[in-house]
Order: sequence, then C-alpha cells, then structure tokens
Amino acid sequence: MTRQELFDRTVKIIHDCVPELEGVELKEDSVVNTDMGMDSMNFILVICKLEAEFGVRIPNKLWPKLSTLGEVLDAIEKYKK
Amino acid sequence: MRFNSFREMIGYYAENTPEAPALKYEKEGALKTESFAELLAAVDARASELKKGGKTCLGLFADGSRDCIVELFAAVTAGLQLVMLDESVPVMILRGLLPYTDVDTLWGDPETCAELQSSLTSGVENGAGRMLFFTSGTTERSKAVVLTEKSFCSSAYNGGSLLPLDPSDTLMCMLPLGHVFGFVCGLLWGLSCGACVALGRGPRHYIDDLAFFKPTALSAVPLLLGFLVKNGLLNEELKLVLIGAGDCPPPLIQAVKARGVRVSFGYGLTETSSGVALSLGDDPYSMTVCPDDKITIADDGEILIDVPTCIMQGYYKDPEATARAVGSGVLRTGDLGYFDKNGLLRITGRKKDMLVLADGTKLFIPEAEAELSKLLPGVDLAVMLNGSRVVLAVHGTEMSDAELIAAIKPYQDSRPRGQQIGSFARFDRPLPRTATGKIKRWELQKKY
Repeated sequence: MTRQELFDRTVKIIHDCVPELEGVELKEDSVVNTDMGMDSMNFILVICKLEAEFGVRIPNKLWPKLSTLGEVLDAIEKYKK
Repeated sequence: MRFNSFREMIGYYAENTPEAPALKYEKEGALKTESFAELLAAVDARASELKKGGKTCLGLFADGSRDCIVELFAAVTAGLQLVMLDESVPVMILRGLLPYTDVDTLWGDPETCAELQSSLTSGVENGAGRMLFFTSGTTERSKAVVLTEKSFCSSAYNGGSLLPLDPSDTLMCMLPLGHVFGFVCGLLWGLSCGACVALGRGPRHYIDDLAFFKPTALSAVPLLLGFLVKNGLLNEELKLVLIGAGDCPPPLIQAVKARGVRVSFGYGLTETSSGVALSLGDDPYSMTVCPDDKITIADDGEILIDVPTCIMQGYYKDPEATARAVGSGVLRTGDLGYFDKNGLLRITGRKKDMLVLADGTKLFIPEAEAELSKLLPGVDLAVMLNGSRVVLAVHGTEMSDAELIAAIKPYQDSRPRGQQIGSFARFDRPLPRTATGKIKRWELQKKY
C-alpha cells in the first residue's frame, strides 16, 4: 500500500468517526488530536478503527504522543511490519 | 466498613467472604475472576518479596492491570513509599520527577523503566504509608500531593457510606489510577464495599469494556461518559454512574438518566483524597457532604474543607505551598460555592486562574500563558476554553494557523493532550485587560 492510499483510507475513517470533520481538508501536518473538533475520545475511537482496518497494534503508550495525521500514518506503517 | 489499611480492607473480606470476587480482568481473551482470598494471598506474597528487596520508594506506572493492582497494594503493605506515575508523560519530565520524589525502584513497561534507570535515587527514609499523587495531569508543573493509605481508606468509607455498593455489584474501573478520582472511585470504592472491581483494558477497549464486563456501577469523567453515551456503549446491567473530576453538561446527565441509570455527581480534590461531597437525589448538582467532612463557605464564597481523616499530609518537599493550602488546618479549595436552602452544597465556579478541563485535568492559565508568550514574542495572547477545547486568543500577529502551531510545538509536546491548544481565536483589537495588566477573562470569553 502506498502512502497516498494509506492517507486516503485513514482520512475516510476519520470522517466516518467524526462527522463534524466532513468537508474539512486534512493534510499530513494537520493536528488531529486536538484540532478541528476531534477531542481525545474521538481520537481514541479513530485509532481503534485504524488498528482494526490495517491490522496493526500501536502500543498504548504511544497514543498520547501522536499529534499530526502524518505521525499517525508513520505509526501505522511502523507497526504494520 | 471503615478500614485503616488496604490489607485490612482486603483481609476483612478474605476472612468473611473468601470466595467473593474481588477483581475481574481479561487474560488472553478470557474473563478471569480473582476472589478476595486469592487477592490477599497474592498481595501478601508480593509484599514479602518487596520487603526482602530492600527498596524504599516505588514509582508505579499504573496501567490498571491485575498485576499493577497487586503491586500497588503490596508495595504499600510492605512499607514502601509509592509514587503514581503516568506513562504518557514525556521521559524527559519523568527524569526530573524521579529524583524529586526519591524513587529507587520502578514497576511498569520494561522499556520505559529501563530508560529511567539512571534517574533512580538511593531511596527515602520514613516513607512508609505515603502515597504521592500528582495534581493536574502529572506534568513538571504539578505538585506531588502526599496522601496515605489511611486517608484513602477514609475517603472510600466516606463515598461508600453515602453511595453503598454490595457484593453483587461489579464496579467498572476505566479511569487512570494515577488520579485520585480513578483510584478511589474506580477501585477502592468497590473493594471497600466488598464488591467486585472490573479492571478496564485501557483506551483501546473503551468501546467494548462495558459489554465485556457487564458492570452494575461505573465511575467516569464527563468526557468518557459522553463518549460512551454518544456511541451507545452503556450496558443493560448498569444501574449507577458516578461522575467526577469536571463539570458535566446537563444534557449528558439527562441522557444517562433516561436509560434508567441513577446518576450521582462527586466533588473533591486530590488534596482531600478524592470526594468530599456527593449528590444523592434527583438533582446531580446538589451535593451531600460526606460524613467525615466539614465544609464551610468563606466570606468571598470560597469553599473551605476541614477533613482531618482524608486531608493530605502536604505537598512533597514544598512546605511553603503546604502552608498556603492548609496552614490554618482548613483546605482553601479555590472553588466557589454555597449551601442551598436544603443544606446541600452547590459549586458555582473557580476562584483561581485555572481551567478544569473535560478530562478532569486542570490547566493553570498563568503558567500556560507565560510559556506561550516566550514562544510567541510580541503577540498579545490569552488562554481560554471553548467547550472542551483549549483555545489560544491572539492579537498582533499575521502568522497563519500553521505557523502558530509550529511556533508553539514545544508547548504542545510538553502537555497532556487535553491541555494542548486546540484552535486559535483572532482578535482585531488588543485583548481586554485591567489597569494592572491582567486579562479580563470574562470579557474575553464574552467577546469570543
């Protein structure tokens, strides 16, 4: 899977989980855990969905340290291996 | 029942209802139950090992697991000073906290513990019975509050006497044990009543813990409760929800009550070993003061608490701050409130420059603004709250949002997620200030 494909599928899951973000353009440097209406609980929901979607397990202790969408993608790629 | 120690608490039920379940937890996908007798045996065995180990102060990364619970009770039983640590705090900050709190041994994720080995100390003298909890999200700006197992047992007694559970109940423990609300209301409340405590499996399982454990009681902060309600995750067996550590919107309380679930609201502080007042009737904002507590209202409306059985010993190594808070023997809370015509306590707001966030942590505004001002020199700024989001009000900059985010990255990286800046509010005119230069926060909020 290319980075772009990963990005697109991740953005779709974010939009599914947080309807308030529909129509908001997300970039790799978008702050996804505090910015634009995604509170920490929504962020947890998104990470759970992403783990199920991509078959990864991101260590719990890393969750609070993920800030941008790019960092989330990095974590998925790292722990998918 | 009133107990003086954790071992006495577990031992009482181990003797009287030895087969009754004390803990439920997941192991390799299966639901496991541990009785009070089994829990006592595990605690005693581990306490014996710890005594032989010769260590004096345990830093515990409280992950809420069964082994963590045993380690916690065993360490206190063995006479070690206990320091509750949060793994989400950056290692750089933890390296400063360990020497400050005299930690000489660690329990938690092996990788994290290995990273911190060089920061361990030679230990502490006379630390037996002391439990250190950090205020405000475990950052380096936090204070370490010195509490004791006795104060926690008293706090659990206070809560349980107003809001009793029984051995047929299962209390869901989903909150971090490093916060006193999670520790007392998620764990001790259940055990002190002889009820079973279901150990949540962490954030990954917020979506299915209630379905898995089928609890009858739940303690939650408003943000977590909102998540559970919004996603339809409350289980059928649930009959009581205790909310604490932050303001809870009335619609959320109504949504829970509409399911036939009793809702109680708790008020307390880290410094009082958790709750000092609980709502028992239909109005969740009218609270009954707990049996051990005496609450008075100062002339300026500040809530003053006199609770000898639950009050902190002080702030660790900070006698000046201790004297300011409890020098008179009464805790000045910084909260404002009054007693209504029925003699019930109602909270009206905060006296201090402090934001109580939806996740229960507190943000000290002057500290945050000073740090942000260093990162954004020349920018007129103020921190405010919009719903559950921390907002930075700015004037006098043409930086884009992306540039502002980049500039404040050191601040963001050093704070728990709930305290990070979530968005910006731009003002065309200078931010409103008093003659002495202090932000007029109410006016700022009004303009926003």
